[in-house]
Amino acid sequence: MEASDRADEFIPSGLASLGIEADEVDMAVMKAAHQMFWPGILGLISADLGDVAPEHDPDLSKAP
Amino acid sequence: MSALDLSLREQAAAIAAGDADPAELLDAALARIEERNPAINAVVETFPERSREMLAAAPEGPLRGVPVVIKDEWPLPWRAQRFGAADMLAPAEPGESGPYRALRDAGAVIVGVANMHELGAGSTGNVSVYGPARNPWNTERCPGGSSSGPAAAVAARLVAGAVGADGLGSVRFPAGYCGLTGLKPTFGRSTLAGHHAAPVTETIVSGPLCADAADCRLLASVLFGEELAAGDAAGLRIGVVRSPVSEDVAPEVREACETAIEALRAETGGEVREIELPDLEPATMAGILIINAEMMNGVTPAKLNDIDPGLSAINKGFVKYRMLMPAAAIVQAKRIRALMRRRLAAIFERVDVIAWPTLPAVAPPLEAPLVELPSGTHTADQANVRGGALANLTGIPGINVPVGLSEGLPVGLQLQGAWGGDELLLDAAEALERANGRRWVEALSPLAQAEPTGV
Repeated sequence: MEASDRADEFIPSGLASLGIEADEVDMAVMKAAHQMFWPGILGLISADLGDVAPEHDPDLSKAP
Repeated sequence: MSALDLSLREQAAAIAAGDADPAELLDAALARIEERNPAINAVVETFPERSREMLAAAPEGPLRGVPVVIKDEWPLPWRAQRFGAADMLAPAEPGESGPYRALRDAGAVIVGVANMHELGAGSTGNVSVYGPARNPWNTERCPGGSSSGPAAAVAARLVAGAVGADGLGSVRFPAGYCGLTGLKPTFGRSTLAGHHAAPVTETIVSGPLCADAADCRLLASVLFGEELAAGDAAGLRIGVVRSPVSEDVAPEVREACETAIEALRAETGGEVREIELPDLEPATMAGILIINAEMMNGVTPAKLNDIDPGLSAINKGFVKYRMLMPAAAIVQAKRIRALMRRRLAAIFERVDVIAWPTLPAVAPPLEAPLVELPSGTHTADQANVRGGALANLTGIPGINVPVGLSEGLPVGLQLQGAWGGDELLLDAAEALERANGRRWVEALSPLAQAEPTGV
């Protein structure tokens, strides 16, 4: 399924579940954003990072 | 020549020595804004009485009497920030933000609030409740974002220094497009107090935009609350990464940056080392996800159903999309962050700085911010974020250094260093300026070369 098709289902159902209203312009913007970001988000979620130890409460001003 | 055309440090020195009258300098800055700002929309509000009050109360600090502008991201005691938007989705009140206090305590005089990309959500500066800011090098081109106004103001020499903020490149990008030096400090080193996202952010920092590294060092010292000592960057080990961020760039940008890297190596007697830095693409996505989640702090569905109609259509839709970004991705983003921080820590054992183009192409047209790269046509935002996100994701500092002109528009090289290595980045930037005979930091935009009319 293409990203644009997924957006047709994902965005309206996601908004509805949160009770967020959207007009046609909002929907067009969100569809474009979805096409731009979703492949990267999906890639991130799908990445096998199980062997990467998380940093608990990292101090980002310093090296890990 | 007006004292306003001196560097930030020269203005401060002239006032301290009694060679320049700060009241005259303030008047000159206000007149210069009136004269040049209509072409670039960099400054969205001035408040002469407040500025005169700041001057009257200015202590004997390192910037006593020197006019500066501050991005519309920071509250002032007499003005709430608007974040470039009709609706910033967060409470905003007047107050003493950290950058305001730092400037005031240094004796600086805030002469105006500078424009910014709406909600900080863009690298171009072409969307703002105040209307787009314009690039002084070519007013039909983007000034960069989100610190669009601070960059345009300094590039037009309305002032010699400006305070911005950087969450994914928002100081470095406009510095790059406008031919300035812009520092994204190590996370937590510069003041963030009073920023509406301060309680939650792990990405945003305040940072200076100035003509050159010495001025940036001075303004950064004020924002850091500590003097950033100068060194010489001798024997600099420069890391270069073979990846789209350094290779999928316009040929003239690539050439200018490669030339600059070699000039920096020669000037410092250092060396260039090729380094491996895999997973830059997911790291960029991780940075995007984290800051977008931070920007939704306190935003409810009810708020999203009651957005001010003055918000741009693009951001009205985009902020709703932010609500749909999955929490699982944020967890993964933080794992990627941990991975990249460990990799960078290892890399900074081998090199002192990582160098790559700040932006993959020169400033695009305001009307259609698209860039042509070897991989095809991209929106400027999509292409630009690849070079900006890593520093915000991991906390390391980065700096844009002007290294050339193409099509009459500036090209910038970004240097990134280890945590706390802000001083070394400034040293390296100064070395690069020397290597180039200060040609690119002294180059003036056409607007800055305009004949003064009584200023």
